[in-house]
Amino acid sequence: MALSVLPSPDNFVGVALVINRSRDGPRFVFHYPPHVAAAAAQSLGSQADHGDDMDDDDDLAPRRNSRMASFEGSSSHAEHGADLGNWNHDDHLVTDSGSQIVPWERVAGFPTKDLENILTPARAYHKRLFQVSLDPLYCVSYPIYVPENGVWRKKKREQQRTSGVKDDDGSAQVETDGAAKSGDKGASDADRLDRRDAAKGAEEAEDKKSNMTMFNLVFFLHPNKHEVRDLVDVMFVHIIKKINKAYKYCQQRSDFVWKESKKILALKDKGREDKRKMSLLWDEILATSSLAASMQDIYEAVSQNKIAALQLETAEGMVTHSVQIPVPFHVSDLPPDPEGDQSGLWMTTANSFIPDDDIEEPEYLDKNFALLLLADEKKIVAELQGDPDGATVSMVEFVRHCKPTLSFHQVGQQSSNVLTPAQVRKYAEHFIYWRRAIAIPPLHARDMYIVNPNCDMRKLQQASARWARQFPLLPALPNFLAELSVAPRPYKLHCPSKAHRHVYMQMLAWLMRGGWVTQLCTFAYVVVWPEIIYEVEYALEAEELTSAKRAQGVAREPSPSDTDTTLASPGSSISALADTATAGFGFLSLLDDASNMSSSVATLRPNTSSDRDTPIASPLRRPGDSLSRGTSHDSSVSAASLSTPAEQAAEKARLERIADKAARDLAERAMAHARKAAPVRTAHPSVNSARHLVGISPRIILDAKKATGKESRYLSAIGQRLRDRAAAAPGAASKDAWEGRVAETWPLFWKYFNGRSALERIALQEEMKRKDVWNLLTAMSEFFICVRHW
Amino acid sequence: MIQGIFYARFFPRQGTRIVAQSPPGCIVPVPGVDKPCLFDFGVLQEYIIPRQAFRNRYITVNEPSGKYSVLGFPVSINDSKYDRNEFIFNFGLVVEAAAVRDGGTDGHDAGPGGDDNDQVPYERVVRRLAATFAEMEKQTGFLSQDQSARPVDDSDGSGGSDSETQSPSKARAAAAAAVRNDHLHNPVGSYRRRPIESLLEIIKEDLNNYGECMIPVDDANTLNMKLFPHHATPPIVRGWHVPVAKVKFADVVDPTWDLTLQRVVAHVDGVADVRRIAQRADVSLDLAKLALRHLLYYDTVLLLDIFLFGACYAPRPGIHDFVANVGGMVDECANYVCAGGAVAVSAKSTGADDGGGGAEGSSGQGASGNGAGEEVLMTTFCVGKTVAEWLKLHMDAGLDVLRFVDVRRLVQFGVIKGCLYRVHKHVVSKQYLAALATGQARPVAGGDPLQRYTDGCHTFDQIMTEQGLTDAEAMEKLKRLSASAGDLGVIYK
Repeated sequence: MALSVLPSPDNFVGVALVINRSRDGPRFVFHYPPHVAAAAAQSLGSQADHGDDMDDDDDLAPRRNSRMASFEGSSSHAEHGADLGNWNHDDHLVTDSGSQIVPWERVAGFPTKDLENILTPARAYHKRLFQVSLDPLYCVSYPIYVPENGVWRKKKREQQRTSGVKDDDGSAQVETDGAAKSGDKGASDADRLDRRDAAKGAEEAEDKKSNMTMFNLVFFLHPNKHEVRDLVDVMFVHIIKKINKAYKYCQQRSDFVWKESKKILALKDKGREDKRKMSLLWDEILATSSLAASMQDIYEAVSQNKIAALQLETAEGMVTHSVQIPVPFHVSDLPPDPEGDQSGLWMTTANSFIPDDDIEEPEYLDKNFALLLLADEKKIVAELQGDPDGATVSMVEFVRHCKPTLSFHQVGQQSSNVLTPAQVRKYAEHFIYWRRAIAIPPLHARDMYIVNPNCDMRKLQQASARWARQFPLLPALPNFLAELSVAPRPYKLHCPSKAHRHVYMQMLAWLMRGGWVTQLCTFAYVVVWPEIIYEVEYALEAEELTSAKRAQGVAREPSPSDTDTTLASPGSSISALADTATAGFGFLSLLDDASNMSSSVATLRPNTSSDRDTPIASPLRRPGDSLSRGTSHDSSVSAASLSTPAEQAAEKARLERIADKAARDLAERAMAHARKAAPVRTAHPSVNSARHLVGISPRIILDAKKATGKESRYLSAIGQRLRDRAAAAPGAASKDAWEGRVAETWPLFWKYFNGRSALERIALQEEMKRKDVWNLLTAMSEFFICVRHW
Repeated sequence: MIQGIFYARFFPRQGTRIVAQSPPGCIVPVPGVDKPCLFDFGVLQEYIIPRQAFRNRYITVNEPSGKYSVLGFPVSINDSKYDRNEFIFNFGLVVEAAAVRDGGTDGHDAGPGGDDNDQVPYERVVRRLAATFAEMEKQTGFLSQDQSARPVDDSDGSGGSDSETQSPSKARAAAAAAVRNDHLHNPVGSYRRRPIESLLEIIKEDLNNYGECMIPVDDANTLNMKLFPHHATPPIVRGWHVPVAKVKFADVVDPTWDLTLQRVVAHVDGVADVRRIAQRADVSLDLAKLALRHLLYYDTVLLLDIFLFGACYAPRPGIHDFVANVGGMVDECANYVCAGGAVAVSAKSTGADDGGGGAEGSSGQGASGNGAGEEVLMTTFCVGKTVAEWLKLHMDAGLDVLRFVDVRRLVQFGVIKGCLYRVHKHVVSKQYLAALATGQARPVAGGDPLQRYTDGCHTFDQIMTEQGLTDAEAMEKLKRLSASAGDLGVIYK
């Protein structure tokens, strides 16, 4: 969710409200900040934009024109003989010709008279993205039009929420249930309407008189050329749309936007007559109009990428609404630009490495994460109590129980089950979304923490001052970081004594919050050493040989009769044939050829049932033949074998040859196998350098949980090793038990050996003791390779 | 892709009108074309010919459905020879809009393939059209004299009050003729001038198909335009960066290149840092940086750090791709780092882990990519371990890494592929930091050139290249700098 472009005072230059009225036309109501960066940005912008190597010959003429034009624009108000050059943009100027230059009537280098026209688009843009670029500024908005009937007010609602919009989708929700209600209560509403009409008639008349047909909160952006889309996108989705919707909500409830606009416009007109200084006028407007104040809040907060909390004092009470661009609180890898936006973010792979099948499983996350509050607990509790609602009590409870050292799972348990896991999850999400907390893997003194490679050293000055205030008696921040970064060690080794443990954990939480440190995790893959590979290959080969032998042995069983009866009678030849066919069965099974197998089975059956017992009984031979024909039409062997005696003999010889060859091959393979060095199990397969292992490379199993085929054989072979070790371990029973446990936990643990699950978190997942897990892992460490990063 | 291109003009009596468009009917309907227009001209006309204050500048606007953007540069030329002393026109393009990734509840259907299109390259085209035609109009009255230049649609009745010389019906015929003639790539000389509609058609087709166009407008003027991709601003090149070429400069460089660039490029060898390159090429450091930044813009070099055996590298999450051999990375690495050439890669791995016994003569298996050799080498890097220490670790385990692997190349491969990162050394002085925080920062306090490096923002690489010191010398000097014993800290990150 890393966002590439975020608003900043550089690329978000201002916000303005424009309205349109059916009779009096558009009006530019208010803008903030008072001085939106003027058109000077035009030349600046293109210079700052490296690589923007516009041909000069293209540009010179129009650019020069444009500069002139912008002055001409102003000259429609004033002949610029007046000292425009050293104008402070606060006082009013009176030109020689007597016209007045009003400081707030130029925004971003454009006269508001012109802006108000261009920023009131047609109804076609109602609730759509409206984006116009006036080189170099982009004006982006989400115009809201009055409904076609010309009345803003939604009359069908009787119980209006006073502070209805609480979370981000609140406004949408309000609208939809408004629509739903109108459907349900159509009839009753209708007659209530009748009664109300009389009362509301006056108001409506007022409504119509105002005739505000649309309002449009326009955002002035000045993005870098290649970031236009990203910035517009992120601002539109998270800010522009939501704020305009909130305004619409208020406008519909209490005609808020129009009433406030009227107030602001009146103040501006008066200010114009009185020639008030712009700064004074702006202070007054911001103080009297909650709409203007909300615009200020939006600009100040959003341009710093903070949460903008709107407080709109409508006639029906305060409406509050918060908007923000959700920001990631972590990155999983070093950002390409070390001095970019993402510098200073905490780095972890704890979130990005979650296996897909576990993401559905809330338990997994519950156990893996703890909540780290970003502000003081007391402050957050106070905030919660300052705006109480139904959930406040349990949320306060939640905040009190949350410790960065406790996973959500544990929080749920420790709160003596006041909080359900679902609640814990929901509140945690709430706090994270509203940037009051972040989710981190629970802190533990035994884990290793290193200096975050992405930490922003430019903040070190302030941070060390704050650190010194917070932890006055402890090592200074630079020293502590230096100590942490020299070599990775378990955190508790940095702690001088047990008595310090508590405060050292607080320090760790502090460092985490600021993105100064990150956990150094260990990730593992199972590695299969040549010894194991050889052992498995050897076993596989042996198995194959025995099964082949067994098959051959079964086939060869009647071989005495074979030699006896070869020349005895024509009938016996059939039997011999059948025998070779069955001998071939063993061979064929090696080839695993299903069709041949079925044919040989087919020939076998009649023979075993009749021919073998009475080899010379020719009368019985016929039915057998016919049977064999009847049962297997596709049996080419039996069909062909019975055509002529000569062919039969040839076929028989062929089959015999094949059988012989198969037998010989088998024997050869068995010989070769026997000649091979028998696998020797050494205590440490990883360092076994026996001759027969040369040339076998160790293998890495990428995800032991998903291993199949040979890989699973390897895994169980390793498991067997560990069991053997347990069985072979001489001496004390306790040691025996220990080795046994290692063998037992191997299959349990191998699912974490996928290079993505940090070994440090196994204890949490399996609810085992950390030390125990660590010892177990150490015992089996020969069979995996580790890599360490955050 | 350019979806449509148009020439709009402001007529004192009829207002804003489209004079020429391509394809026909894309902006305003013309007789004989059934296809719907790309957008409602009525809604957008105030942005095509806007108010005075917004003229003579580049203006873009998206149309309400969010599918297209209109890019234009309305030009107004003031001269008393014109009716109302002004001649106003705009040559505009219609391109797919950058689709907003949206919930979709409000009916933004993302334009077709809307994610890859980029409007930036078209800005130059629009500016060029405006500049060229404005100049031609000023010189010869190219646009205002154009007799065929009548609004395409004057069907709203205003045509009746047309006081100009041609009747509306004739104008329509002329426009239609222009449409018919528009494919004429015929010898230019045979025309004194091309109709604008056919010009627009050629511009659109050429830019869409070839990304550039070169079109004679009349006997004296030619329109040359090309679409250039717009890249992000490249990061700043520092003196301690090590550029590594991504292309073979020897093959692409030609004598027309900038001379400084040629000299710099000759010394980019993947080892030398920028400062050294500048010295060797006998170029000033700033110019060398500029030249490299230029190469960076075109993505032909990478910037790495200075390789030292005393430096520390550690794995990044990207190392998992390496272990999993994504895209044959391990084999690629083997080819890149192998020192002996003939010595098989897999040999090392067995050597690494079974005591070096018989490392030779086993090459077959390594090709499968599962030989754990590079993986083991790569994964054993760790925070707090220098390359030298890492090397010793493997030497002690019985693997003579240096015999098989070019360690510098191994590390660089890891860094380039995102498997490793350089752990930089920063030096921090508490006192200096406190002085900075309280605002008594004296950048060259006491005149010692090293003090300014002790705020934690500077890496040792920087100190070494800028001061021309070795690591040990720098450390020694820094130690002498600090007053009290515990003042200086070294942070590795």
